Amino acid sequence: MNPPPGLPMIVPPAQANPLGGLNLQFDPPVPWSAGWGPVFWAALAGVPVTIILFYFLKLRRKPVQVPSTFLWRKSIEDLHVNSLFQRLRRNLLLFLQLLAVLLMMFALLGPQMKGSTRVGQRYVIAIDNSASMSATDVRPSRLDEAKQRALALVDAMGPSDLAMVIAFADTARVASTYTGNKAQLRERINAIRPARTGTSLLEALQVAAGLANPSKQFGEGQVASEVQAPRLMVYTDGGFPDVEGFSLGNLVPEIVILGRPPSGEAASASRAGDGSSTPPSNNVAILALQTARGEDRPDVIQLFGRVRNYRDEPVETTARLFLHPLDEPIGDGRLIDAAELSLPAGGTQAFKFDLVDPGPSGLEVRLDLDDDLEQDDRAFAAVGRPRTARVLVVTEGNRYLLNALTTATAGEAAEVVEIRPADLETDEVRRALIAGLYDLVIFDRVAPEEPPAGNALYFGVMPPGEAFAEARPVEAPIILDWDIAHPMLQYLRDLPLVLIRDALVVDPPPGSTTLIESDKGPLAFVSPRDGYSDAVVGWSIYGEDRQLNTDWHTKLSYPVFLFNALRFLGNVEEALGEEVHRPGQPVVLRAGAGVDRITVSPPGGPEDEIPRSDLGTFVYNDADEPGLYLVSWPDGEREARSVFAVNLFDPRESDLSPRGIPPEGVSGRQAEPYLIKIGYTEIEGTRRSRPARLDRWWWVALGALGVVLFEWYIYNRRVYI
Amino acid sequence: MSTASSSPLLDPEFLHKLEQLELVSRKIFVGRMKGERRSKRRGSSVEFADHRNYSVGDDLRHIDWNVYGRLDKLFLKLFLEEEDLHVYTLLDTSLSMDFGDPTKLRYGKQVAAALSFVGLVNHDRIVLDTFSSNLEPGLGSVRGRSQMWRVVQYLDNLKAVGTSDLTAAARSFAIKHPGKGIVVVISDFMDKRGYEDALRYLLARNMDIYVVHVLSREEVEPELVGDLRLIDCEDDDEAEITVSAPLLKRYKETLDAYVGGFRDWCTRRGIAYIFTTNQTPFDKLILNYLRERGLVK
Repeated sequence: MNPPPGLPMIVPPAQANPLGGLNLQFDPPVPWSAGWGPVFWAALAGVPVTIILFYFLKLRRKPVQVPSTFLWRKSIEDLHVNSLFQRLRRNLLLFLQLLAVLLMMFALLGPQMKGSTRVGQRYVIAIDNSASMSATDVRPSRLDEAKQRALALVDAMGPSDLAMVIAFADTARVASTYTGNKAQLRERINAIRPARTGTSLLEALQVAAGLANPSKQFGEGQVASEVQAPRLMVYTDGGFPDVEGFSLGNLVPEIVILGRPPSGEAASASRAGDGSSTPPSNNVAILALQTARGEDRPDVIQLFGRVRNYRDEPVETTARLFLHPLDEPIGDGRLIDAAELSLPAGGTQAFKFDLVDPGPSGLEVRLDLDDDLEQDDRAFAAVGRPRTARVLVVTEGNRYLLNALTTATAGEAAEVVEIRPADLETDEVRRALIAGLYDLVIFDRVAPEEPPAGNALYFGVMPPGEAFAEARPVEAPIILDWDIAHPMLQYLRDLPLVLIRDALVVDPPPGSTTLIESDKGPLAFVSPRDGYSDAVVGWSIYGEDRQLNTDWHTKLSYPVFLFNALRFLGNVEEALGEEVHRPGQPVVLRAGAGVDRITVSPPGGPEDEIPRSDLGTFVYNDADEPGLYLVSWPDGEREARSVFAVNLFDPRESDLSPRGIPPEGVSGRQAEPYLIKIGYTEIEGTRRSRPARLDRWWWVALGALGVVLFEWYIYNRRVYI
Repeated sequence: MSTASSSPLLDPEFLHKLEQLELVSRKIFVGRMKGERRSKRRGSSVEFADHRNYSVGDDLRHIDWNVYGRLDKLFLKLFLEEEDLHVYTLLDTSLSMDFGDPTKLRYGKQVAAALSFVGLVNHDRIVLDTFSSNLEPGLGSVRGRSQMWRVVQYLDNLKAVGTSDLTAAARSFAIKHPGKGIVVVISDFMDKRGYEDALRYLLARNMDIYVVHVLSREEVEPELVGDLRLIDCEDDDEAEITVSAPLLKRYKETLDAYVGGFRDWCTRRGIAYIFTTNQTPFDKLILNYLRERGLVK
């Protein structure tokens, strides 16, 4: 006979992973149930041997008296002619018993697909609920699929395993802390709602890393911890940028890529043709929508938009424009215009609608087509009432400044009040500054004791505060560079020509954006302060004793800069509805003075009352859904209404092709662009979650029970084969 | 052990069946001289059979003087000899017969009683012998219907005891009964020494041999299940078996081969072989089977 099966399997010892613990495909092999000693195995192996011996020794035969063994002997002799094996083969009951024992032994082995230790495996389940996870290329949606996978993992957890659940989009939220309570985990996983935002894996990694690398030592990167690293299961479609500046330590992420993979042919073809394009996916998305007033005709609102086709075939569709009046709840809207769009495969097309200023209202553009992601088929814009910014100028009669602020164009945008530096001491001005009556306060060579409740622009002086105490005067700085992308510096061309005699430079405090760089240091910057912005320009028109300090006022860039500052710091854009709000981000709202609460009606949600914050603004934190948000507050007898639009214009979310898995046939260096990089580590995702440490022994035990029952049946019913 | 085997053999039902048997047997013998059987042997009866030449030493009284007067030659008149028919019954009373419901022994007793009854009614001489390890002293030579109670009483008192040794019993039987006649052997023939020698002893006596092979239903259709240690009730021999379909099949094949071989062996030697189980009603066996086999005319 063969040696009985069930001996301990010889498993190669655990190998150190040369990649430093990052191996998505296979865990280091670990001996099964390493905790059992050789004595146990010997005993276990002895069980089937004993059973077979019992059968041969016939220890349990029931004596029966018969008239004669004469015929029986003859029968047995006939059977004895057959070999011993023949006899065994016929012995169904013995084999059923052996089978049952083997199953039970298998159960005792603890059949785990891959395992590490018997106790305390920890899982961090990170579920991507970003906008692209709402795609329906896998039914019912990628997020539901991710939840199913996560639920399967929870079901497979052993009794001593713990798991925590993180839902991440642009931010990570701990849906459930570490628990072994499967019911709670299931409930929390099921409760994850799709977010409408972009994706950032970094936050999820940071949360998980805090648990995985509790005693992480910076520098050498050595981890001296006995805490077992949790297994980080990331369920995502890979629609996020590579994570930079993050070290995994002993965290072993396992990225499960969801979503329908592009066919290998199409993927490689697109890569061959255009290196930057991504594999096609079934989606057409509005990637931009913005309103602007006509340059020449202020009564015309222009609506600019851009649509991208992610399919590998041309798309003909219609963009329909709907108007949502504010005097009724936001509904389906009224169709007011439409435009034919003809998009080449993988191409982009812009569209433009011109409409007569409808007054404060919401606009919506819808694409008439059916694709995998519904969210980006709609885009919203808000048209606000042209609002003038209230600007306070504190200056000692700087007429260049005042002139520039009172041009015809600037005058439309701002209502300018001029005071002298001495007036800052009066109670009236103080109260007005504290109450935030002014959107922007311009300080010309004079700094207040307290910063105002509003944005501020400083010329030739530093704002109050320790951060600016280090300011030093420099002579004749030469402007080297400026941030042309910043709204305040738009259209500025002739800055290098500006001559400056004396200026103040300082290292901007953390969080600041340097606007203008000189050879002596930063000349202008914007730094945040309690929700407001302080813009600092290190020089002024006039120097000491009203001597001209610069020739900036003679350049075209001076009024343009001031106009930009009015628009940017004076909240004019917001009033025009041009400000872009993204889902999930706080929206700062302003209402008339004296209003304590405003009401926000999100699309398809209950109304929300927002109290005025300490800063005088209203902060709405629940703008999670794209759409039009109706804002209303009492204004005297009637109700004032306003609207703001929330959109996710994120090409990465709209690109539904899953990332993280190289197409078939692509390997080596060529596969690198497909891999997800975390720090310096490239990770290849997997299509299906690698079998977790599944304790399936109870199934085997059930099987053993079934076999025993079957044997009982055979024994009693005399079923013979 | 069944209750039937402990109840007396001579119960009303049994007697009733015997009465029926009597009527039936009379019907069979109608038109014949009752109580008579002509022997093939020439003898001294009144019925003439043949003549033969006189040879020296013959009894002068048997010379046919009329023929001598006519032909001047001496002839002897030969007569058919009338003799009593001896019906011997050899019943196995070993322990192995004490199985079944009714037990094979009881069944054998019934058959023996029925045959004796038929014999007694026909004025035959009935000899009942039993055997286990050897021939037991039995009921010797009864005749006439009035003796039926003795037969029944004798059979009633028989108990199953000892091992069976058919060969030894047959040898003793042959020595004890040199005369000719019919011998009916009732046994289960579960003798590991075989039946051949025993029957040869009887054949050598030139007897008409009838073999009634009685098996219980349990032996024909075993109802055993599981892993068993079979113990032979006579010699305590043990056989360990694991009941399975192939084994049961094999057992039946063995049984069929044994019975078939036995029948062939008997047929080839002019022995009437009747196989029966304890489930066959004995009167039916007597009437149908024995008539077919010629045991009863």
